[in-house]
Amino acid sequence: MSKLSFRARALDAAKPLPIYRGKDMPDLNDCVSINRAVPQMPTGMEKEEESEHHLQRAISAQQVFREKKESMVIPVPEAESNVNYYNRLYKGEFKQPKQFIHIQPFNLDNEQPDYDMDSEDETLLNRLNRKMEIKPLQFEIMIDRLEKASSNQLVTLQEAKLLLNEDDYLIKAVYDYWVRKRKNCRGPSLIPQIKQEKRDGSTNNDPYVAFRRRTEKMQTRKNRKNDEASYEKMLKLRREFSRAITILEMIKRREKTKRELLHLTLEVVEKRYHLGDYGGEILNEVKLNRPDKEMSTTPATLHNGNHHKVQECKVKHPHHPSLKEDVSDVVRQKKKYPKKPKIESVITPQQPNTETLPVISKSDIKQYDFHSSDEDEFPQVPSPVSEPEEENDPDGPCAFRRRAGCQYYAPRLDQTNYSCEDSELAEFDKLRYRHCLTTLTVPRRCIGFARRRIGRGGRVIMDRISTEHDPVLKQIDPEMLNSFSSSSQTVDFSSNFSRTNASNKHCENRLSLSEILSNIRSCRLQCFQPRLLNLQDSDSEECTSRKPGQTVTNKRVSAASVALLNTSKNGISVTGGITEEQFQTHQQQLVQMQRQQLAQLQQKQQSQHSSQQTHPKAQGSSTSDCMSKTLDSASAHFAASAVVSAPAPSRSEVTKEQNTSHNNINGVVQPSGTSKTLYSTNMALSSSPGISAVQLVRTVGHSTTNHLIPALCTSSPQTLPMNNSCLTNAVHLNNVSVVSPVNVHINARTSAPSPTALKLATVAASMDRVPKVTPSSAISSIARENHEPERLGLNGIAETTVAMEVT
Amino acid sequence: MAEVGEVTEGCRLPVLRRNQDNEDEWPLAEILSVKDISGRKLFYVHYIDFNKRLDEWVTHDRLDLKKIQFPKKEAKTPTKNGLPGSRPSSPEREVRKTLDLSLQPASTPASGKTLPIPVQITLRFNLPKEREAVPGEPDQPLSSSSCVQPNHRTTKRKVEVVSPATPVPASTETTQASVFPQNGSARRAVAAQPGRKRKSNCLGTDEDSQDSSDGIPSAPRMTGSLVSDRSHDDIITRMKNIECIELGRHRLKPWYFSPYPQELTTLPVLYLCEFCLKYVKSLKCLQRHLTKCDLRHPPGNEIYRKGTISFFEIDGRKNKSYSQNLCLLAKCFLDHKTLYYDTDPFLFYVMTEYDCKGFHIVGYFSKESTEDYNVACILTLPPYQRRGYGKLLIEFSYELSKVEGKTGTPEKPLSDLGLLSYRSYWSQTILEILMNLKSENGERPQITINEISEITSIKKEDVISTLQYLNLINYYKGQYILTLSEDIVDGHERAMLKRILRIDSKCLHFTPKDWSKRGKW
Repeated sequence: MSKLSFRARALDAAKPLPIYRGKDMPDLNDCVSINRAVPQMPTGMEKEEESEHHLQRAISAQQVFREKKESMVIPVPEAESNVNYYNRLYKGEFKQPKQFIHIQPFNLDNEQPDYDMDSEDETLLNRLNRKMEIKPLQFEIMIDRLEKASSNQLVTLQEAKLLLNEDDYLIKAVYDYWVRKRKNCRGPSLIPQIKQEKRDGSTNNDPYVAFRRRTEKMQTRKNRKNDEASYEKMLKLRREFSRAITILEMIKRREKTKRELLHLTLEVVEKRYHLGDYGGEILNEVKLNRPDKEMSTTPATLHNGNHHKVQECKVKHPHHPSLKEDVSDVVRQKKKYPKKPKIESVITPQQPNTETLPVISKSDIKQYDFHSSDEDEFPQVPSPVSEPEEENDPDGPCAFRRRAGCQYYAPRLDQTNYSCEDSELAEFDKLRYRHCLTTLTVPRRCIGFARRRIGRGGRVIMDRISTEHDPVLKQIDPEMLNSFSSSSQTVDFSSNFSRTNASNKHCENRLSLSEILSNIRSCRLQCFQPRLLNLQDSDSEECTSRKPGQTVTNKRVSAASVALLNTSKNGISVTGGITEEQFQTHQQQLVQMQRQQLAQLQQKQQSQHSSQQTHPKAQGSSTSDCMSKTLDSASAHFAASAVVSAPAPSRSEVTKEQNTSHNNINGVVQPSGTSKTLYSTNMALSSSPGISAVQLVRTVGHSTTNHLIPALCTSSPQTLPMNNSCLTNAVHLNNVSVVSPVNVHINARTSAPSPTALKLATVAASMDRVPKVTPSSAISSIARENHEPERLGLNGIAETTVAMEVT
Repeated sequence: MAEVGEVTEGCRLPVLRRNQDNEDEWPLAEILSVKDISGRKLFYVHYIDFNKRLDEWVTHDRLDLKKIQFPKKEAKTPTKNGLPGSRPSSPEREVRKTLDLSLQPASTPASGKTLPIPVQITLRFNLPKEREAVPGEPDQPLSSSSCVQPNHRTTKRKVEVVSPATPVPASTETTQASVFPQNGSARRAVAAQPGRKRKSNCLGTDEDSQDSSDGIPSAPRMTGSLVSDRSHDDIITRMKNIECIELGRHRLKPWYFSPYPQELTTLPVLYLCEFCLKYVKSLKCLQRHLTKCDLRHPPGNEIYRKGTISFFEIDGRKNKSYSQNLCLLAKCFLDHKTLYYDTDPFLFYVMTEYDCKGFHIVGYFSKESTEDYNVACILTLPPYQRRGYGKLLIEFSYELSKVEGKTGTPEKPLSDLGLLSYRSYWSQTILEILMNLKSENGERPQITINEISEITSIKKEDVISTLQYLNLINYYKGQYILTLSEDIVDGHERAMLKRILRIDSKCLHFTPKDWSKRGKW
């Protein structure tokens, strides 16, 4: 058999190996050493040591002799076991216990000093013992304490005295001895210790450092990156959860308020039923007597429809250069007429009176019916009530449709009354209420009655309507209108302002040109025409001039400011819709027109101031509100255009605007008297601040606080020197309700003789406390309102979640 | 002929040494350090190809100055502290050195007496630095360093093996030692490669878990008790620092460096409390300590007792001071032991012998939670060596493994004595089994390697290596067989007669630690 010609199979550890003893060993010739076939196992030694002489010798000896030989043993340094004093050293005997020795944990700590006295110490002790008694253990304890209390720095004698509970003399003696000994000591301590590692890693290679701590490094290293990422994720999760909590809490609050409203409305209806007030007369009376209350309540109703502002904007979207505090009222009325025929029989008479709290609530309640806690923003969701009306609606697809969640304001008293009286008129209103006299900038002409809608992509569609006045209207020179409109709008737009009953009514009456003009002049006829932003300046001044009058009563002030806020907000909300409009249609034309208007307005400013100041309080307040609103919308156009289009020309325009507004604001800040306070602020808000707010928001991002910033901007002069502080304060705000008071205050302040930027800042800073002070929930609701439009204006920056947060 | 004053660190020359047989020898030695004590120069010498434990301080009259070899000029003398960083590492130099190494022996006249090659010594000193910068093995700087080192050393050693200055009895100098310098170094250079691979294989698990990816060679791996590499090897740790240790009745001459507090290293004798192993600087201190220390046994639970032999289990986490003291003492006799990290992950099993004074420590082994190893460090104190205690310790460690139901192997690297002891234990244990196998129904008795492993708790690889070492495995008629030759059987029977001390598993009261609860460290 050729011994080496085959290749043996690998050794299988699981395969049985037969064992052959010496006597029955197979023929050695047949037996092949497999050392080559089985891989040599490592010895497990370091390679270079494997070859050491003595080891090799020993291994060979073992292999040769199968037994260790004395001479072949690996030599080692000698060890002796002849310590003769051993028995003296280790005294006593230790008896082996029967049981296995079991150590109790921690019973080894018998608090013995680690320091062991040496012969030098013994000498000292002997010396000391002549004067006093000191035992070795006592001494050791002292030294031990001194050693353990000092690191590189020795403890002082004073410290030593505190450490050692001994006689002062003894302490002094031992201390001095210790200090001396320590100085001569070669080691770091008199108690020899293993060198410790230092954290800086400088001892990594020090051979005398031992027993280093094992760091956690190994365990975390693999996943360190993951750890970081997951930590961040956790943070984010937490943030989002807390946001969800906030949202839910707000929803809860909202639903509670809704229920309250419902109860109140029911109560009112009940009361009216008992009174037999089926026509709403009593209600109207009550309402008439308390016009301001309505103002304050209006905002309260607002907060529900926040998410549907856009629709509202379309509807009431004024582009009207006029004021209109009553826009809301008007709008509400509109919607009620066409939409609720059922109710009309009973309720219609009330509708005019909707301004009173209960009625308003009622409308709100209806909204609730449709979408209570349903946050859907789908405009298509048909409301059960409105559907049947649609068929009757002559406007067809263009008809106004009441939208769930929208807020509609009650009509002005005078208008409502009027319309109520004349059913025919009312009828007509149904058809035309939205058409108003419209002027185009380019080509510059009056196109008669028209109604504006927002079409696809935000373009504005003018629905013209033929009236008997058409021939007359054609003669109207836009310039004529301009001169009027600016003034008239500001004066008393509320009555007939928007494409509401008032205007319609006028149309129907087949007025002559002069009549129309006079109507326009007196602001009874609504006239639409794009305006220059600069208009606002004048308007604002007018408004502010009126403001002092409004501030007579607290309620007034709040109401007015509220209204202002609302309007400003609405204006801004308008922005969303208008932005695109403006951008895509006649942006530049509008700018031109507005310039012209501005020029005209400026001419008329003085006279207006005086006249406006003499206005009745109620009207004044309302008009101012209206005005602010329109102004806002106009300014909102700009803000929006700036944001959306940002074309060079409009840009420059914007900057211009800002400049002017700056001036105004400065005027506000400085006690500049009546002429420019409140409105200028508002204007500032709505125009340049509107822009800047928008821009700001854009840049800042989507966080809640950031959304608050524009809110503050609307109320607080953004261009103020104190801007920054205000803004920062705003940023710190957590609550809308917190912001709202600020707005109020600021507005109030602007009307005050000397509001300073500093004060604004302080107000902003102290805002936390303000909400409690302000009595009505209206304010908070206002605040909410305030923000929403802005958000809308921000073209989608606002998200549902954010909106929820704000509410 | 050189002057005594010229003898510096790095020089090589024959040094007089008395062997066990009381004969004078002149093995080649290397000067590791020079010190001057009251005008008298002392030289710390390492006898090349002898274990470090034989290194010693010698006077000049034991030096054969006629044959001195100075270190090469370019090679710097090793610095006293030898810490890495004193010289910038340069890969080119490293390469050149390696070339030198392989070329030099060939160019050396093979005229019987080999010329010592001082270059290599400096290489060795500088290895820590140079290793850190060795390119080409970026993934595992640590393991690479651990591999490079033996490579160099091996090469160096090989050259020196043939040094005739070492009077080795020809009878014991077997083939492995009789290597000509010419092919010796060449062969080694090649052989070092597989050896290196093998090594990294056998330590593979540890090195994987080690800081392999960090590239920071500053800290060694945290598992295990033995140095896996020589990156922290410097001149300080290569020299014994304690002259003598007094432990109970015994005076021990340490074999290796141990990081006792530095101020104690200059003492002629370091005193240890026999029971708590506390180190004190003087007899007086020890006396004082003994008045306060009432221990008469290791501070742990006794888990085995038969006759005078007991085993105590000490938790390195719970009893730090004893564990540390034990490690410091053990380090004096264990070259590869590392005290770099704390003792937390280890359990210590201390074997004691009882007499009326108490339970005297004989030896110990430590154990870590690591899967494969059932022993981290193992030591029989020198006074008890060569009396069967080592084998008893090993046997006990396998008894524990049996209780745990696992096979185990000692952590590597083994020392020379460790290898001999383990081989002896493995051989005897396996032979015992093989010889006691009875044939069943007339057939030849047979057994698998796995079965042997299960019965003994000896890891399979160790079983194979032992069978191999004993030359028992043969290939016969298409299958592997185990052959028990006469002399093997005789040798085993003779050895077993001498082996009186045995572990009685009935005396073991041991519950394995729940390592998972204990945590890895």
